[in-house]
Order: sequence, then C-alpha cells, then structure tokens
Amino acid sequence: MNRRHLLLVVVGTLAVVLAGEARAPQSLIVTSPAIKAGETIPRDYTADGRNISPPLQWSGAPASTREFAVICDDPDVPMPQPFVHWVIYKIPGTATGLPENIPIDPATPMPAEIAGAVQGTSGFRRPIYRGPAPPPGKPHHYHFRVYAIDAVLDLKPGLTKRELLEAIQGHIVGEGELVAIYERKPAPQP
Amino acid sequence: MISRRDLLKVAGAAAAGAATAGAERAALPAGAAPAAHPESLHEQSSPRRPLEALTADEADLLTAIVARLIPSDPSGPGAVEAGAVTYIDRSLAGPLSSSREAYRRGLAALERYATLSRGQPFRELSPTDQDSLLIDVETGGATASGAGFDGSSAAFFAMLKAHTWQGTFGDPYYGGNQGFVGWAMLGYPGVRTAVTPDDQRLGARPVPLRRSAYDTDLFNKA
Repeated sequence: MNRRHLLLVVVGTLAVVLAGEARAPQSLIVTSPAIKAGETIPRDYTADGRNISPPLQWSGAPASTREFAVICDDPDVPMPQPFVHWVIYKIPGTATGLPENIPIDPATPMPAEIAGAVQGTSGFRRPIYRGPAPPPGKPHHYHFRVYAIDAVLDLKPGLTKRELLEAIQGHIVGEGELVAIYERKPAPQP
Repeated sequence: MISRRDLLKVAGAAAAGAATAGAERAALPAGAAPAAHPESLHEQSSPRRPLEALTADEADLLTAIVARLIPSDPSGPGAVEAGAVTYIDRSLAGPLSSSREAYRRGLAALERYATLSRGQPFRELSPTDQDSLLIDVETGGATASGAGFDGSSAAFFAMLKAHTWQGTFGDPYYGGNQGFVGWAMLGYPGVRTAVTPDDQRLGARPVPLRRSAYDTDLFNKA
C-alpha cells in the first residue's frame, strides 16, 4: 500500500468513526407519573387490572427529533427474544410523553397531543398495549424504551418490534427507558 | 371485539362471488324478508327460548359475550340477534354435550376474572372494558390470573368463538342464524340446488334464497 492509499484509508476510517459518534443516540430521561422505576407496575396497567396503557413522560430529546417511538418488552420470559407488550410509533416530535389509556379500538382517534401515532403488533398479535401477564414464579422486568427519530418515515401501522427497529435504524438520535417489575403470585384454585 | 366491517373482510373469501351484505339487501326480491332490524329481532327473541343445557345466568353472560364478538350496528344485526346463544345451548344439550362442562367452568372463570381484574361482573362493564377483557381471555393473559380457567384461557375463548361463528353463520336448522342474518351479513345467497345461466354471468348477484338446506330433499339432517 502506498502513502496515498494509506492516507485515504485513514481518512475514511476517521470519517466513519466521527460519523458514528455524531449519530450516537442521546440519552432520554423516561419517567411515568404512574410507574416508579424498579418498582411494581400498578394493576391497572396489567392483565390483572383494566390493562390500560400507562402514561409516560420523556425529556432530553435532541432538537433534530421529528418523531418518537415506544416499545415495551419483557426479557425475563423463557424465550429466545423478549416478549413484546407494546409497539407505538409515529408519535409527533413535539410530544413529551404518552397519555394514559391509548385507545384499543382502531376507530377511536388518538389523543390530540399524539395525533398521527399508530400502534404496532405485540407478542399478543394485537396492535394495542397488553400489559404484564407473566406466569407465577418470579418478578419480570418490563422495559418501556423510548426512541427519538430524526426523520418522518413512511411507517405503516401494525409493524412488529423487529420491523420497526429495522425501519428506524440510522435515524435514532435519542434513546432512554423506564424499567419496572410485575409478578403474579400462585393463586389457589377457586 | 370485531367490527362487522372487519368480519366481512375476513369472510369475504368464503363468500366469493357474492354481493356485499348491503348490496344483497338491496337485491332482495319484492316480498322477500330482509334481515330484520336489531330491535325487532330483539323483540322476537324475547322472552328467550327455553334453555336446554345452560342455566339462565350462563345464558345471560353468554349473550353479553357474543354481543361483543359480533356486535350489531347500524348496518345490521349481530350474533345475539342471530340466535348464537340458542345454537350453543341446543348444541350443548346434544352433539356438543362433551363441551358442557368446559362451558360451565369457562364461563364461571370469565365472570370471576371480570370481578378480579375490573371490579365488576362482565355485564356491568363498559363495552370497551368488555372488549379489553375478552382480548385478555383470547390471548391467554387471563390464564394465570387465579380466576380458575382450565388450562389456557385462550382455549376456552377459541371454543366460544368457533361456536359463536357457527351459531351466527350456520344453517338455521341448528337454532342459530335466525332470520338468516348471518348469511345476509356475509352476502351469502343461500343454498342452491340449481343455478340458472343468469346466475352464472360474470358479476351476477344471485337472488338470495332464504331457506335451510334441509328444506330440500337433497340434504340429510345431521
């Protein structure tokens, strides 16, 4: 390799590294007025309660954010991949969170502050939030992960977690999560 | 639970070649009885037909459930008006008697699950909460809730759904599809033993025949 080629390789490598650093997602702070990090998720947001979606809040998104996406999954299931409880995306970049109780009826419009948001397909094969319903035995951890995206992408409703992550790859400029737990106790048969 | 529009999308393939429900109603010949309005059907089915297998409480709960599985709406009647509960009740007293215990335990578990999770009996929940609960039963989320489902709640739901579909869209001889509302919903023109050249034209909309297959001599009662 001559000096000219060597220089090109070095410059190219630096460009890739710098570009990668420039695109490293910024940390988002994710909280909930209803769920405390590391603590038990209230019953209303589980299959032992009304099973409505919890309210979430976030901050720290970069100025380049155009949309947000949220995924909730449980890595404690005895499966190769975490079990997906919720996929919601195309949340406007102006949003600072999600209100409680996102509609389960697709004919019901989204709340005004997240107008345009759509839901993807969860592990329950439904395009809605379905909360914790773990088998008894141990607490499961539920990760509510928020992604800030720097583009308005043409994303169809009903995407799975994998499809969504593939679609937003290269556009994630911010990321953060709230982790809480839920456990079902063995119940005596009635 | 499922909108009639969604149901028609699913059932569209089965009713290939048939007109839409609305179009079929429009195509009914003069004098033919269209699917009755939900209110008139409600009056027809009240008081309830004598039960053969279910208790009155079970039938009331089942009625509330099937009302969410195939609801009536402005475009026409649903599973309740079709008599799906009558079909299930009669079947449990006869050919489906082996499922009687599964219904007893499953309905009791569903009612307990309603109280445990939503704080009220199923019938007192809002339609949205009823739908949410049924989704939990359907997807197995209710299984380990302590409500007492035998195995997976999804298995009970699958049985219930299959029988509701049978009771809504099956032959009226078996007690469901009263007033042919299920066939009208699908745009199914009815059992035909002869097809005219006009019926075979591309785009033809056969005149609906509203009669049971057993009203002809070609089918044996099962």
